[in-house]
Amino acid sequence: MLKNHPSDNTLLEFSAGNLPSAVALCVSTHLSHCPECKNKVSEYNVLGGSFLKNTIKSEPVNFSFDQLMQRIENDQKDAESLLPKELKISKEKVKTAFENTNRVNEKVITKLLKSNEPLTWRKVSKSLHEAVLKTGQSTHEVCFHKIKKGGKVVEHDHKGVEITVVLEGSFSDESGTYKTGDYIEMQPGNIHKPRATQNSDCLCLTVVEAPVKLTGVIGKMVNPFISFRPR
Amino acid sequence: MLTAVQNRKDSHEARPVENKDLVKSKHHRDDEWSVLLEKVANDRCQNSFSRLFDHFAPLIKGFCVSNISGINADNSDELVQEVLLKVWRKAESFDAKKSSASTWIFTVMRNTRIDYLRKHSKHTNNVVDGLEADDIWDETLDHQPFVYLQQSRDAQLARNHLSTLPVEQARCLRKVYLEGKSHSEISQELDLPLGTVKSRVRLGLKKLQAVSMR
Repeated sequence: MLKNHPSDNTLLEFSAGNLPSAVALCVSTHLSHCPECKNKVSEYNVLGGSFLKNTIKSEPVNFSFDQLMQRIENDQKDAESLLPKELKISKEKVKTAFENTNRVNEKVITKLLKSNEPLTWRKVSKSLHEAVLKTGQSTHEVCFHKIKKGGKVVEHDHKGVEITVVLEGSFSDESGTYKTGDYIEMQPGNIHKPRATQNSDCLCLTVVEAPVKLTGVIGKMVNPFISFRPR
Repeated sequence: MLTAVQNRKDSHEARPVENKDLVKSKHHRDDEWSVLLEKVANDRCQNSFSRLFDHFAPLIKGFCVSNISGINADNSDELVQEVLLKVWRKAESFDAKKSSASTWIFTVMRNTRIDYLRKHSKHTNNVVDGLEADDIWDETLDHQPFVYLQQSRDAQLARNHLSTLPVEQARCLRKVYLEGKSHSEISQELDLPLGTVKSRVRLGLKKLQAVSMR
């Protein structure tokens, strides 16, 4: 069972649909690994359903049932295109996108990869690579981070909230070890020095609200290379 | 996980009567709306859809108008129509064994609203390439079948007991769901520390859960 989860408050905001989509993306990725949180979200949805049931009614004035049916008949073709399609991305392709790592199971990550192909990996430091992703929002920077096995990431602070979900492998810092599916929220002022475990590379999805500030001497050298790029 | 399942099993054995009720609720869905929605899913029954329309269209509009984020009486009809269109199109994915009609329609409405707001926002770009709400708020990630037995009961209890929550807790939950506000927006509006808002929400949730476990 996973140890690091979004808070109940975050799960509730997810269910209510109030989270910025980048943060919701992290929650969604975590849910695909965590039955416990899935159950909570299901429960909260029931709460949403009962709010809907008990809302004060307000009659639509600009359209009738017949008009709706007319519209449905008119674009029946569109309807067919809405049915869930098999994602056409091949296992092989995903593998290439992540270079030598194994396939990732999360549906949303597969979709994200598809709309961002080919990924452009950038070397941040000797053991840290980064690929910035387009997600159609402008409040957060979303990227994949890859830490080479046994590799260390420069100690850094967080100017804004930073959320990390481990997609493959595991890493650890001063507070513990994080495994595939773990959801880690770092607040401004939380300084840490992540390190991937010895036996495999670690791949993470990271969402940052504001620029990550590196501390220490090396940090000062690396800092100019890290800029805030919401897509 | 195993322990949780084990506990649940034990508690059912300890309370055979309640357990029987739960099983019964699976077959006798207590609301007619779920039955109608299944007819829409299975038979594309327009008559059933028309009854769902009459019931839910005003509720969806009422819900959306209460939400602060860019929906008003003028553009709400357009959104209500989008939601109902999606209900018709996606009805096949509704499973009465997993959730009730109102819960399912709530999630369809939530996702439609997110995409609608994004499409009409000046601050976003790349909507075509980006992820849609259905990708992130993926319905296969909720409506868990194995919690379902409790769900119809929970919904009823939540409905009955929302009114028994302390006013300030119910108020915060209402603002999260109905008004679509983030915790920090609520804290600003009510002039309360963020931590207080968070704990009121958590306490409210806990109380509702405690009630539904009883």
